[in-house]
Amino acid sequence: MTIKRIRFMQELLTFFGLEGRLHLEWISSAEAQKYVQVVTDFTEKIRQMGPNPLKKIDAAVKGAI
Amino acid sequence: MNLIDQVEQLFIQDKIDIFLGYKALDGHLLPHGFTRDRMEELKALQVSEGRYSLEKIATHLTEKHPDIRIGMIARECNLRTLNLLYTWKQLNPENIETINISCCPSPLKPHSDCSYLEPKQTGAYKKTHGIDFNADPDTFLDDFNNKNRFSRWMYEFNKCIKCYGCRNICPVCFCDECSLEHASLVEPGTLPVDVPIFHLIRATHMAGRCIDCGLCEDACPMDIPLRLLYRQVNAIVSDIFDYRPGNGTDQSPFTIIGEKTVLEPKPMDAQLEGEKEYGL
Repeated sequence: MTIKRIRFMQELLTFFGLEGRLHLEWISSAEAQKYVQVVTDFTEKIRQMGPNPLKKIDAAVKGAI
Repeated sequence: MNLIDQVEQLFIQDKIDIFLGYKALDGHLLPHGFTRDRMEELKALQVSEGRYSLEKIATHLTEKHPDIRIGMIARECNLRTLNLLYTWKQLNPENIETINISCCPSPLKPHSDCSYLEPKQTGAYKKTHGIDFNADPDTFLDDFNNKNRFSRWMYEFNKCIKCYGCRNICPVCFCDECSLEHASLVEPGTLPVDVPIFHLIRATHMAGRCIDCGLCEDACPMDIPLRLLYRQVNAIVSDIFDYRPGNGTDQSPFTIIGEKTVLEPKPMDAQLEGEKEYGL
């Protein structure tokens, strides 16, 4: 169910224009190496995509009030 | 047999206690409950291009009086809604009589005999900065890249005046507690509205629920293309879960919060206070 739910969220975010910012991975407690790899890869991916564009909008709205 | 005679028959045969339709009043067609005590009012009963969620009135009535038998005019969108409300136990099919009207698009007529008689017009500015009402979810995804989709949805959502009209008109919004009024999700009583969270919460809740009647888009004073958004969430649910709301007799398998949603639909129990108040 979680896989399906996350897939729903990923597709909704894609439609909205925040593609690729949500990731789900199954990692067992015995898979330390995999954990490190997944987190490193995802961090790198997000770094390349740059900050979430919503953050800028939030700051602008707060500044305007 | 014309509509008025049909309704009269339902009353004479004692099949219903109230009939929900539209009544002409000063040139407007307004939703109205016709009763046996005031049969003379039936003269003013009409079918109109205008629409209102009669099912929502039916759900509210049933909440107060679980055994009330309701008749109503039902277009195809109403029938889909009724079906969904039956599966969520908001209405009992045994207590509902419908007089069906065919009005949706068909090979013979490209548009429906309702407020969607004509396709919605999208202005030039909205086309370049926002989203075309008549866009198809797949084409929208193909035509615009990630960044472009984001700025277009934000243009649309930012117009929102947080009137809650989309939720209030929605015939399938029947939760006791509404996430859109949860202080931890949407700050109450403040403007501007929290974008995009307000709209994405609603979109998520429409997934597996929305029967695509288009009333929300009709109601929206800011012309946000809600129908397109809810069509897409339903397409995703249909893709992943193979579920189409309003068709079968099953509840949607999709819940975003957990295996068991905390947003329980209202029970159909009698509310004693309501009974006293209305004396039925």
